[in-house]
Amino acid sequence: MRLNRRQRVLIGLGVSLLFLAAVCAAGILSGEAAMATDFSRKNTAPCVKYLFGTDWLGRDMLARTLKGLSLSILIGLLAAAVSAVLALVLGIVSATMGKAVDAAVTFCIDLVMGVPHILLLLLISVALGKGLRGVIVGVALTHWPSLARLIRAEVIQLKESPYIQIAEKLGKSKWYIARKHLLPHLLPQFVVGLVLLFPHAILHESSITFLGFGLSTEQPAIGIVLSEAMKYLVTGEWWLALFPGLLLVIVVILFYVAGESLQKLMNPGSVHE
Amino acid sequence: MWKKFTGMVCAAVLAAGLLAGCSGGTGDKNQDTQTTGEMAAKDEVVVTMPISSEPEAGFDPAFGWGAGEHVHEPLIQSTLTVTTKDLQIGKDLATDYSVSEDGMIWTVSIRDGVKFTDGEALTASDVAFTYNNCKEKSTVNDFTMLDEAVALNENTVEFRMTKPFSIWPYTMAIVGIVPEHAYDENYGQNPIGSGRYIMKQWDKGQQVIFEANPDYYGDAPKMRKVTVLFMEEDAALAAALAGQADVAHTAASYADQTMDGYGLLAVQTVDNRGFNLPCIMPEEKDGITYGNAFTADVNVRRAINIGIDRQEMIDHVLNGYGTAAYSVCDKMPWYNEAGEVAYDQEEAKRILDDAGWLEGSGGIREKDGVKAEFTLMFSSGDSVRQALAEDTANQLKELGIRVTTEGVGWDVAYDRAQSDPLVWGWGAHTPMEVYNIYHSLANSGIGQAEYSPYANETVDQYMDEALETATLEESYELWQKAQWDGTTGITQEGDIPWIWLCNIDHLYFVRNGLQVAEQKIHPHGHGWSIVNNVDQWSWE
Repeated sequence: MRLNRRQRVLIGLGVSLLFLAAVCAAGILSGEAAMATDFSRKNTAPCVKYLFGTDWLGRDMLARTLKGLSLSILIGLLAAAVSAVLALVLGIVSATMGKAVDAAVTFCIDLVMGVPHILLLLLISVALGKGLRGVIVGVALTHWPSLARLIRAEVIQLKESPYIQIAEKLGKSKWYIARKHLLPHLLPQFVVGLVLLFPHAILHESSITFLGFGLSTEQPAIGIVLSEAMKYLVTGEWWLALFPGLLLVIVVILFYVAGESLQKLMNPGSVHE
Repeated sequence: MWKKFTGMVCAAVLAAGLLAGCSGGTGDKNQDTQTTGEMAAKDEVVVTMPISSEPEAGFDPAFGWGAGEHVHEPLIQSTLTVTTKDLQIGKDLATDYSVSEDGMIWTVSIRDGVKFTDGEALTASDVAFTYNNCKEKSTVNDFTMLDEAVALNENTVEFRMTKPFSIWPYTMAIVGIVPEHAYDENYGQNPIGSGRYIMKQWDKGQQVIFEANPDYYGDAPKMRKVTVLFMEEDAALAAALAGQADVAHTAASYADQTMDGYGLLAVQTVDNRGFNLPCIMPEEKDGITYGNAFTADVNVRRAINIGIDRQEMIDHVLNGYGTAAYSVCDKMPWYNEAGEVAYDQEEAKRILDDAGWLEGSGGIREKDGVKAEFTLMFSSGDSVRQALAEDTANQLKELGIRVTTEGVGWDVAYDRAQSDPLVWGWGAHTPMEVYNIYHSLANSGIGQAEYSPYANETVDQYMDEALETATLEESYELWQKAQWDGTTGITQEGDIPWIWLCNIDHLYFVRNGLQVAEQKIHPHGHGWSIVNNVDQWSWE
């Protein structure tokens, strides 16, 4: 059976979303197992009983990896959602509220983009006392500029379209125009931008946790799992880093695939760009 | 075709990995070893230490060198006294010392003919300067008991105290004497002393190189050159594997590695780990909660103390490289063996039952609406403390106590430990540590002991008396009584405000042929103590 391009994209999207949902569900279910220590089985290499092996506290690495990934995905979703909403609001406000506001928002965009991402993220996270809140706020506050810039450009372009200008002439309020005319048009870009923010957010959450500025060490976050594994690479316990690292990459790739698929579905013309 | 082939190879590798894992359990982790590294010359040695051992403020006693949180002999400088192998007091620069009857004046005679490495003579005024300087500047160590140090003549110095302090000789054993004429704000970077070694080179963040002091007044050091490399344990292991270090510090988790050309040296320590149990009901002051409703019950603390199988914990967490701990000062001359208890889970359960802590929902005990649970904190990133906390949680679960572990930073740990137990590491060559942990402080917090709410007048009194005795020997007895005098104290039958778990052996991979001289029981800190007597090491 030969599939056309649209079907292939749909299958890619479906498989990605299914896998990510499965990881989330498994992670939520394996919360207890991810934390449970049992010294009688510590440092077991991967085998049938423990597919990903166990660590120095005898914790099941499969459970820890799934829990860590689900934690990362949830943090990523939350942070990316906050970030994307921020970008949407600022993008629209910037394009519709006049020159002064536009200048201020553009300045903020340049400012945030001017500082290296990870550095700003670290500073915000540390200033907020690290932990879950620090990471989410940090990721949310550092990821909005590129999407905001995109949306701002889109709105400026839309403002010149005849139907918006007619609506203005008819005396519709700015709020009405934004809600009824701009938002529906921006939705595809917004959704695609949001989905493409996920992998970024997940990687950055893992990175700062890996560096010790994110989640607390007793939480089975993927960054913690990887940073703990580093100490044991030298003694040959390769499974501690390999599987969590591999799965993190797979999750990030799947989110990317999902985002790209969505873009192709919502904006078929983009395929030819 | 190519894709299929690659896929098959990947699948085969994964399958082989899985099968190999199942067959071996922990597996044979012998590493490929190499002994290609250059063997050091016969009078040189390369030692690794944790990165945290590098003295941030330099080699200045006023800023913690030797006399810091982790006490050790300062190598570059000489001290008035030294601690002997059995942790009694010997003499170095001091030829004699005595204390006035009221304990307020210590008079110390100093060795003649000692020179700093710049050729200047070391006199009593250098000693007085060093101590006054430490009193003025030290934020790491407590010098509040010293009023002033005065040089009476070239060879005699007098320490005038603010209060009697019978254990002053232990302080004199860690304060390196600095030259008054060559001391400025950069002293820590370019230290001059009269000790066994001269600091030749310091590459910050990497290494320090010491060379033997040719004019040292004592026995000439056998090791002419000592290089100390700062690195984490995994890097130290790699350095040993590459043959680049003669002594590589290591952790219990690496101890089962075998390397050609190296043997494992385990040094007994008083580097203990334990956790505090706040002894009062919760109350708040200045935004800090003091006390814990569950651990306030002495029966709970007693049950926890005998309900923990220390040997199992040592086997689990330290791979057997440790000794059970029952006090903050095990094996020290001031240690009271009455603190030792046998593991008895049934008795622990009985104590809890009798005290009214009965099993409630989910197997967790409770009494009057208070659940038998607490959060056990550990410092983030310290894998040994984390493992001890996890094992404690597992063991106490069997008693019907729910323990939640949490990694915290030191920025919040001190305040939070006033209400939640925290895994601590202590162990010093001075009885003052017993005082610091158990003696109440009228002027701080809520007037209880500094690190965890606890106060007992009798215990306080023994320690106060111990500091006022004329001789160290008399003080030892009083320090022991503070721990347990037959009716009251800080041990199982007493108030048991802290639970001590284990003393962690300090482990090193030592190159074959290197004779590391006999070690004193190491204090807290897996760093400089190993080289206390590096001058007596030798190669076969």
